[in-house]
Amino acid sequence: MRSFVKTFAAEIVKQHKNYFYSKTIYISLFLWPLFSFITTYYSFQVFDLSKSKVPYITAENVVVYLLLGYMCMSLFRCLVQSAWRFSFERFHGTLELIFLSPSNRAAVLLGNAVASLFESVIITVVFTVFMLVLKSEALFFKLLPAVIVFLLVIGMAVVWGMFLNSLFLFSRDTNFLFTVLEEPMEIFSGVKVPIILFPLWAKMIAAIFPLTYAIEAVRRVMLYGSSLYEIRIYLLIGILIMIALLIAIMIILVIVEKHIRVTGNITLF
Amino acid sequence: MDFKVLRGTLKKELLTKYRAYPMDFFIGNVLTGFYTILGAYMMYKLLFERNMNSSFANLTGTSDYLSYVLVGSLTYLFLVRTCLNVSRSLITELREGTLESLMLAPFRRVEYFLGNMLVQTLTTTMEVMISVLVAIPFGISFQYIHIGSFLLAIVVALYSFFGISMVLGCVMLFTRDTYISQNTLFAFVFLVCGITFPSEYLPAWLRTIADFIPITGVVTLIRNSVLLGKGISEQSTIWINTLLISTVYVLIGFILMQKCEEVALEKIHS
Amino acid sequence: MIIAEHLAKNFQVKVGKGIFREKKSIEAVKDISLQIEKGKIVGLLGINGAGKTTTIKMLTTLLAPSAGTYFMDDMDAVKYPMEIKKRINMIAGGERMIYWRLTAYENLWYYGQIYNVPNSILKQRIEELLALVGLEGKQNIPVETFSKGMKQRLQIARGLINDPEYLFLDEPTIGLDAVVSKELRSHIKFLAQEKNKGILLTSHYMREIEELCDYIYILNDGCLIKQGTARELAADTFNRRNYILKLYEQSDDILARLDHNLRQYDPTTEVSGDGDCISINSSENISLELSRLCTQEGLFIREMYEKEPELEDTIIKLSKEVSA
Repeated sequence: MRSFVKTFAAEIVKQHKNYFYSKTIYISLFLWPLFSFITTYYSFQVFDLSKSKVPYITAENVVVYLLLGYMCMSLFRCLVQSAWRFSFERFHGTLELIFLSPSNRAAVLLGNAVASLFESVIITVVFTVFMLVLKSEALFFKLLPAVIVFLLVIGMAVVWGMFLNSLFLFSRDTNFLFTVLEEPMEIFSGVKVPIILFPLWAKMIAAIFPLTYAIEAVRRVMLYGSSLYEIRIYLLIGILIMIALLIAIMIILVIVEKHIRVTGNITLF
Repeated sequence: MDFKVLRGTLKKELLTKYRAYPMDFFIGNVLTGFYTILGAYMMYKLLFERNMNSSFANLTGTSDYLSYVLVGSLTYLFLVRTCLNVSRSLITELREGTLESLMLAPFRRVEYFLGNMLVQTLTTTMEVMISVLVAIPFGISFQYIHIGSFLLAIVVALYSFFGISMVLGCVMLFTRDTYISQNTLFAFVFLVCGITFPSEYLPAWLRTIADFIPITGVVTLIRNSVLLGKGISEQSTIWINTLLISTVYVLIGFILMQKCEEVALEKIHS
Repeated sequence: MIIAEHLAKNFQVKVGKGIFREKKSIEAVKDISLQIEKGKIVGLLGINGAGKTTTIKMLTTLLAPSAGTYFMDDMDAVKYPMEIKKRINMIAGGERMIYWRLTAYENLWYYGQIYNVPNSILKQRIEELLALVGLEGKQNIPVETFSKGMKQRLQIARGLINDPEYLFLDEPTIGLDAVVSKELRSHIKFLAQEKNKGILLTSHYMREIEELCDYIYILNDGCLIKQGTARELAADTFNRRNYILKLYEQSDDILARLDHNLRQYDPTTEVSGDGDCISINSSENISLELSRLCTQEGLFIREMYEKEPELEDTIIKLSKEVSA
């Protein structure tokens, strides 16, 4: 347990120093999501907002609706990116050294995911302030559910990042996995179009992404003022997803270690 | 014009492309096109049930939102792929250590970059055509296309992409970064140049900036000729404006490039 | 002590392009048995592709052997890789395998943490290691700005962070200049002799192996073809003797006369001119005959000696023999 905590903490410190080395990272963290959000906001102006099929999308609160979606997506994206960056360790040979050491592999993955939490939390704060300044009148939320749902989203994002990270340990071709997962997540998890409107096939894809449940729970709490009891189904699903993913991660790590020892494809040679 | 340099660059680039064409990169790009269309389709069909804001048709002259987004996205894809290759050509040489041997040769840069550009145009054309096929099931229509005007628009587009690529290439060579500079530029272009919505919706100051990026004009020209069937003479002011701005970019690019090469070579030894 | 017996490693590789890729099995290591004692340095030699790196990866538990047994101090290393990892480390040459954006100290601290080195001794150990590799004073500078040699020295410090009982060195001096590699060689000796570590070393530089290793294994095409001390190996491979003769005067005529006369003692003798010296190769000890002949012929000797066989020649000769 002690060694788990030490590895976990060391991983956080290492990744943080490794990636925040250059200040330009803040451009990719803040500027890109902001550009993307503004683009989407104006894309909505093309439509007749009074005729949307969802009652809470109106010309008045479309900004808040979108911001909530983008906020959740940014949280997840940070963790997907951290998983992707971790895959570079393979090329630098440091992944091999981690596997050479007796460290707990799950602690390394967790540390790596939590390291990017710092950035994620900042993003959330920035988005929230932005939201309050822009449209505080569109928000109807109670404090406790808001805090709980926020923690849930963070937890889900961390586990999702760890899960992708464990998958990335299998292969050198992480770019491909990244393109396949990154953009569909944006489309199918309801960032722009609520999943209630999806046809069945699209709903099935949406069900795969934990982000889908995160966004829905956040919107219900923040826009409807739902209580914890009213979103209990989302809390339950969220916790179940986290448990399922954690179990999957543990299994994958055992398989990966075996696989690497047989095939030897941990580095390029 | 020195055709030897042009031919040499062309051949070298074609060979490297052919030998190590990143298949996943290609699939990634086609998928990006697909997702953009799919995203637009969902908003259009599912969320708003084809109810457009009346200002959209007034500003664009069409009510075919999906075709509007498709043409915009493909133009954007074309730009991204061109920049990815042309802008990065010199910094790639720098990273692979071939810049110094390249600089030893007394050749002119124009041919080198043109060679790069031509190769890229060939591959991107293929990729874009496949993306168009992907978009057909979504109900894209090209019934009004004005072929002559469209071809001219493509030539102007390539010219302006070339200019932007040169300027971006300078920035990359100077900062020795590709990731941040290119993606910031792409995200900004996607926001202001009227790729998925008319730039008239933007605040005035952003629109002014957009006017100084030739992509805004290029997208308009391509849309007008493909979707509205406008001829060449009908849109002469946009042609001239776009060409002028692009020329400014090309000139700035070449002047800066000389300086940046010197700086880059000095940095190798520091 | 490390005892590995009949280790073998097969890799499944996919051949060809597209969907219809054939699976092919490649035998990177066929049959290797070796021992590493504490306090001794063992060398692993072989030309490129002989299976050196695969062998090291198996011994460091990064790869699981397809066949064979591997015990470390009576513990089954194939079954309990995690226990083995605590007691070993590996140092590879080159500039990879460290975080360039972190400082030297931060790198060592990180690896210390994942090896669960108690914090109470970690700080002191890092300082000792930095002093050992001559990086004290440079510890708070990002590795990015280090020279190649400095990065490599940091690698060595990193490999010692868990105070391993056994150390695997894969081409540790590759690309280093003469001064630095000499220092490094004395570090390696020190680690074995004073710190009682068992060390396995691979290198392209024969001198290095000759100088350092107590025992040498020679690999070719995944198999062990020879083993012994440096002296044994060289002597064993060369049962013929080489003499170098330098005269004040040299001509084809002299060469022919020497050749003719020496063949009377040993018909297999070969005499050849090589620049300003004459090289003589014989199965017998002909030094007496050679000097007598020179006196008889009235030839003034400038220099004459028997050349010790070198390990480099051994390797080249052995791999030629095997492939012939």
